[in-house]
Amino acid sequence: MASPATSPDIVSPAIYLEGIPHSQFSEIMAHPGLLWHPYQDGGFWVVSRHADTKTVSKQPKLFSSAVGHTNLWDLKADALEARRSIIDTDAPDHTRLRRLVSKAFTPRNINLWENVTREIACELLDDFQYAGGGDWVSMVAAPLPIRVILSVLGVPVSDADYLVELSNYLVEGTTDQPSLAADAFGNTTDLDLLPFGSPASHALFEYGEQLGAKRKSDPKDDVVTQLVMAEEDGNRLSAAEYRNLFHVLVFAGNETTRTAIAHGAMAFSEFPDQWKRLEADGEISAPAVEELLRWATPVLHMRRTATDDTELSGTSIARGDKVVMWYPAANRDPAVYDHPFDFDISRETNPHFSFGGGGPHFCLGAFLARMEIRILLEEMLNRKLALRQVGAADRVASNFIHGILSVEMEVK
Amino acid sequence: MTDQMRLCVDAGLCIGVGQCELLEPEIFRVDDDTGTSTVISAPILPSQRAEALVDQCPSGAIQIDSDVSPTQARPPDTG
Ligand code: HEM
Ligand code: SF4
Repeated sequence: MASPATSPDIVSPAIYLEGIPHSQFSEIMAHPGLLWHPYQDGGFWVVSRHADTKTVSKQPKLFSSAVGHTNLWDLKADALEARRSIIDTDAPDHTRLRRLVSKAFTPRNINLWENVTREIACELLDDFQYAGGGDWVSMVAAPLPIRVILSVLGVPVSDADYLVELSNYLVEGTTDQPSLAADAFGNTTDLDLLPFGSPASHALFEYGEQLGAKRKSDPKDDVVTQLVMAEEDGNRLSAAEYRNLFHVLVFAGNETTRTAIAHGAMAFSEFPDQWKRLEADGEISAPAVEELLRWATPVLHMRRTATDDTELSGTSIARGDKVVMWYPAANRDPAVYDHPFDFDISRETNPHFSFGGGGPHFCLGAFLARMEIRILLEEMLNRKLALRQVGAADRVASNFIHGILSVEMEVK
Repeated sequence: MTDQMRLCVDAGLCIGVGQCELLEPEIFRVDDDTGTSTVISAPILPSQRAEALVDQCPSGAIQIDSDVSPTQARPPDTG
């Protein structure tokens, strides 16, 4: 086989300091078939189209999450086993883990958290408005999701700041320049064996274990109690699985939603006519929330690994090849979206893949994140809180999370 | 009856997302104990809604039950 055409660079973290490399993605999508992207001493197939992303996501046997890893790089076998979580597991283990937590996150059960979410949102927005604006990320976008997910999990609010700090270090672990020393937080574990290679993971594990022990002796009506009870049962959840699941719930439940809220505020500032439409409607419709999610695309990619020789969009894929889905590309695929680069809160059909392309790994927290975003926007409307961005956002140099470290907003 | 379809849930595939309950609450309910979807009334829908549901169930658990002929597909309470 002739060597495949090569993709433009979409992995160098520094690129993302300027935002998503949309022109590279457009170029990749316009190319027939799939492009090969060199990476470390191998490479991966770039999946950019909406249809291809769906095909890969919905065939978990052919495109495995457990072989290798769901990140770009490979892990050594011991590291993979130590770090394995719900995200990089295939059926039947995945199905077992997923069912242990799924019920807390169904639309019906998530709606039970609306009031708690509204209280938190009101408190944060009141402070923000009173201050006349400030850093939207540290004042609203970051604290809202972490406080909500901690309530759902059953973590005391007094520990929220500590967990936000740990979570920030984890994101940093996906960049070129992690700042923590290997022995930070009293870590003695080989960094390769920790999620994101970060000592903050060690601290989060420890925290999860302590909380789990508390709930074992003093059960409450929360997710952590449900999980430790399953662990007690023996074969339903191992201690390592509990640890990794707790870690994923804290991290996945907050870094992503915070990113969506940050980009949402930036989008309404950049497209004030869309904010006026919301004000005129007087309510937050589902299409507005979905467009915000499409626009933000907080998670930039997930990887799968082919378990057999196959073909996608006319390109042959060999068993063992890495296949990486780039959600910002699928979310602006001209085959699916008219005017993909417009932020338009009235799109009637908006099958975005910000929560993944479907399949068994579809985001567990999708309904929670949607509810949080809706409540926040509702309370902004109630307060007539229109925002204007001041200066450029401080972005995260990561090819995995479309993160915003800080962005100054003033109250209009 | 070509515009009606009967659906079923493959409990082995269901991961309890609840999209089915959100779209068709009269028919599907995610069981809080098992974490999987259960059919609570005759799972028969106009084909467009049925196909939308099949498409939106993330895990592929909701399927068109092609084995059932239209007469068998009649809701139990009418037959
Ligand atoms: C706007 C916010 C969010 C975005 C954009 C987002 C995005 C994603 C994406 C892209 C995936 C991978 C899907 C795939 O591999 O096909 C995922 C998985 C996951 N998300 Fe989210 N997420 C968000 C919020 C949340 C929240 C609030 C939680 C809280 C529990 C959460 C928990 C998870 C978990 C546990 C998984 C792994 C599911 C599995 O592998 O079965 N996410 N999310
Ligand atoms: S939408 Fe699919 S995966 Fe989700 S609960 Fe219903 S059947 Fe199960």
